[in-house]
Amino acid sequence: MSVVTLALPSKGRLKESAIELLAGAGLEVLPPSDPRSYRAKVKGRDDIEVAYLSASEIAREVAAGNVDAGVTGEDLVREKIFESENKVELLARLGFGSADVIVAVPDAWFDVQTMSDLGEVAASFRANHGRRLRIATKYWQLTQQFFSQMHGIQLYRIIESLGATEGAPAAGQADIIVDITTTGSTLRANALRVLDDGIVLKSEACLFVPKNGKTSSVILDLAKKL
Amino acid sequence: MTTFKSFGARADVEAIIVERGAVRTDVPVLQPADPFLDTAGEELRRRIFLTQSETGQAMCLRPEFTIPVCRLHVDQASDAARYGYVGTVFRQRQNGASEFLQAGIEDIGHSDVMAADARSLADARTCVAALNLQANFETLLGDQAVFDAVLKALGIPAGWRLQLTHAFGDDGALNAALEKLAQPAKMPNLPEDLQAALDAGNVADAEALVHSHLIDASLANAGGRGAPEITSRLMAQLQVAKSAPDAGKLETLRQFLGLRVSLNNATSELEAFEANNGLDIAGAVADFAKRNAALVEAGLDLASITYDASFGRPLDYYSGLVFELRTAGGTVIAGGGRYDRLLSLLGAPSPINGVGFSLWLDRIAEAQS
Repeated sequence: MSVVTLALPSKGRLKESAIELLAGAGLEVLPPSDPRSYRAKVKGRDDIEVAYLSASEIAREVAAGNVDAGVTGEDLVREKIFESENKVELLARLGFGSADVIVAVPDAWFDVQTMSDLGEVAASFRANHGRRLRIATKYWQLTQQFFSQMHGIQLYRIIESLGATEGAPAAGQADIIVDITTTGSTLRANALRVLDDGIVLKSEACLFVPKNGKTSSVILDLAKKL
Repeated sequence: MTTFKSFGARADVEAIIVERGAVRTDVPVLQPADPFLDTAGEELRRRIFLTQSETGQAMCLRPEFTIPVCRLHVDQASDAARYGYVGTVFRQRQNGASEFLQAGIEDIGHSDVMAADARSLADARTCVAALNLQANFETLLGDQAVFDAVLKALGIPAGWRLQLTHAFGDDGALNAALEKLAQPAKMPNLPEDLQAALDAGNVADAEALVHSHLIDASLANAGGRGAPEITSRLMAQLQVAKSAPDAGKLETLRQFLGLRVSLNNATSELEAFEANNGLDIAGAVADFAKRNAALVEAGLDLASITYDASFGRPLDYYSGLVFELRTAGGTVIAGGGRYDRLLSLLGAPSPINGVGFSLWLDRIAEAQS
């Protein structure tokens, strides 16, 4: 009998929600005998093995075909995997972990409501400030695709920000941000506002499989039940 | 392996460049990445080979020669000079190897721009001819200054002008920008007090209100956009929102962008366009005619060059002439242009003129075989 490996997020609400959802589909993930172990079994199903990995590793491992399926946020797959549509397949949207990747500007930029406004500001930024418009983000790929390819905005620089991105404008590190938000409360607390057409990606947790035409029937059955 | 990888052919190219009177110049293969990303934008990041120095400085394999040569000129605070180069550049391309040979001449600091423009285009053509390219190629010429003059004469608002200028040469982006321009402008939703101040034309009050919002957000001293800039854009938006988009202007602009004629007829076509539409672009057209005279003086036959009004480069440092040599199949084998704004961007303390071209030696080799 062949065993399929299903990768689940190793911590936090994503982990809990994934286990809950699997239980609802009749798959009870058993706690590992050693709680520090990152491997687990499914009750009564010797043909499924669960691997707990960090959410961004799951994106990579699915794309590389090292696991048979994985549950992770769509934002991570689209950001971490170059041309992800050719490498992974989205089997099911799971209805939790919802979050949007958005473009937000300081609320006081009253003259900037749309990406087109932002394009104008970016175009004259160096003439006015002696430098390019700076965008703080951890989403390099998504930002480039959205700005350069979708909106034809080329004149900006990305400043890598691995945390507390919403604070970057007030800290003078960047002018605007591209970040993930669920309720928008952190944005409001930092006097930032999402542009009218500033949604880069509506993300949620999804079941992904490698796009290799070898998806096992066990996984396909599971996808139907989720 | 292309023919130009062989040492002999490479030496030939060097000899041709030096024969044109350029100073043979070398720049390091490993370059700081920031000057490239700052000038060409983040889109370039996907195509260059990036690495990091021990101190964390972003470095890249040179993706082209113009910027390193300009930086060399600024660093050495040189007098006017013509720099000739041959070497490998590194760029990820959809077609072709990521490592390929380029050669070219950058003419920096010469104030007689017409003569320098003409010499650059003549040099590019002479080099291609000297490489024994048998295939036919066409020469395409565009002029950013004429485009800018048309936008200005049409009275297109400054903000739009910048966006259109930056989209110039990128048909998709330019069309999208024109479409947007045809839509009625919408005024943003503003707090009542700010809206009232703007409606009353009270700039000082509006600025003060915007400034207080910036202070609340701890942005007043963050080194970004300030209240005067935001307010003046709001005032401009108010003006645009009040005036309906002018379909006639857009039609005139499209008509201009459709101009594609042999260069020996281009001046009269531009003059006719100017007269028919009652626009004043006389200064730009006069410069255009002067450059044509310089091209003739440099020994070029204007009938062998095509002027395309929509041809440009969507980069903000190109300022005037742009040109390309293309094979019948549309492959660009040489590209050049005037970049008078580039040296200031790279740190020159005062403006320095520059014009230059690069030869795609791998494509020329392919066109020969």
